[in-house]
Amino acid sequence: MNDPYQVLGVSANASDEEIKKAYRDLARKYHPDNYHDNPLADLAQERMKEINAAYEQITKERSGGRSGGGYSGYGDGGGQRQYRSSGSSTSSVLQQARMAVNSGDLSRAEALLANYGDHNAEWNFLKGVVCYRRGWMDEAKRYYETACQMEPGNMEYRQALTFMASGPRGAYRPGGGPFGTEACPGGSLCWQLCCLYTLCNGGGFWLCCC
Amino acid sequence: MYGYVRPPLDMLPAEEVERFRRIYCGLCHALGRRYGPEARFILNYDFTFLAIILSEREARNVDRARCLVSPFRKREFQPSGAALELAADESVILAYWQLRDGVEDHDWFHGLKYRAVSKILEPAYCKAAAFRPAFDEKTRCQLEQLQRLEKDRSPSIDRAADAFAVLLAAAAQEVGDPLQRRVLEQMLYHLGRWVYLVDAADDLKRDIRSGNYNPVALRFGLAEGVWTADARREFAATLDHSIHMMATAFELWDFGVWTPLLECTLYTGLFQVGKAVLDGEFQAAGRGRIRQNHKNEEETT
Repeated sequence: MNDPYQVLGVSANASDEEIKKAYRDLARKYHPDNYHDNPLADLAQERMKEINAAYEQITKERSGGRSGGGYSGYGDGGGQRQYRSSGSSTSSVLQQARMAVNSGDLSRAEALLANYGDHNAEWNFLKGVVCYRRGWMDEAKRYYETACQMEPGNMEYRQALTFMASGPRGAYRPGGGPFGTEACPGGSLCWQLCCLYTLCNGGGFWLCCC
Repeated sequence: MYGYVRPPLDMLPAEEVERFRRIYCGLCHALGRRYGPEARFILNYDFTFLAIILSEREARNVDRARCLVSPFRKREFQPSGAALELAADESVILAYWQLRDGVEDHDWFHGLKYRAVSKILEPAYCKAAAFRPAFDEKTRCQLEQLQRLEKDRSPSIDRAADAFAVLLAAAAQEVGDPLQRRVLEQMLYHLGRWVYLVDAADDLKRDIRSGNYNPVALRFGLAEGVWTADARREFAATLDHSIHMMATAFELWDFGVWTPLLECTLYTGLFQVGKAVLDGEFQAAGRGRIRQNHKNEEETT
């Protein structure tokens, strides 16, 4: 295993508080929630395991080898959220499509959905999931909307739609702060517009528009 | 690709700004040495970003040279290596096909300038295409697909953006490490999607005036070219989902010395540029275009 201090990005002399802070930051970054339905969730899950193991090892070492020194690892078992066949799922084809989505085989999921005639709420939801993983965010939202209209009481569909519609506001951002274009304080882009010149001649501020 | 992808240099320490300048100059030198001085003019921030994410973790020793914009004082730059060569080759191919698109989509007279510039770039393009035949093929094929969608006036922003995103993701196809390739392909796909959509938003008013294809206008029904509050919120959310996908991919690979620059670009620079475009403060005038069609002002008046 790698040096646990290196995994957490701290020096071996770091204080307990510094280590905890580094661990918390990394755990927020690689948390399954930040990689929900992400095509790279498997890689994040591996990273999360590594971070949890490193933190556990350091905590053990520092507490004189006693285990259970207040450590409680962030969930690393989640990774890709599994789509269980919901209670309403009566079709084996849709169940197979869910399984294909869970295993990351999007082409198979798409083929199964394409051959399924009953475009019910679950079908629309699964189409949305496939679109999201492919990066077709706008279509994903539309499918989730249809799923919610057809079955307004379904929490799984509703959560997916809320996330798509509001954007990934709670996503990890270094140093905290809101994640989003509209959350950006804005400010002057002026320097950036003349940046090309300043980069090249090392001080062309006369080109600046303000 | 037209300079939308930029780090907020005012928020970075001087050494990072200098690192960025060195690779920016390094790409310019790589273009010049490989393809002659005329190829240097395709240089922009987006191609620099491509060079950064393809770069090795450790910076090489720096070189010093004079150039057109610094004729008296020698300036440091990142010397060419495999990554800068790849970025230079792919930049030439992308720039050339975008110019050819411009030729295709204009009548004889208005296509003159595209024809002239693409003629100048042609020897460089031929050389680059011979170096990277697979990327050349992919670029041609995806831009043709984009043209078909534009002719059909497709109202799907995902479909239109996908054509460009797939093209950009192909820029990582020569990366040897499978894990690195997977991460880069995901970053580049969403980078392509974001750039395409931001470019469409930036051109909204101009396209409405001229009647040109604009998937954002069609998707959100913005017949006047003015954002409604709902449309703007929805559009910003879709941009943010792509930035989130880029950021989560970025965190899964060690980019070494480039980490601070990339982190700042992804978590701050893209938001700033997106906001400026939505506010109508980011002027596209004078820069190139990805989306073709009749984009010059003369035709709109």
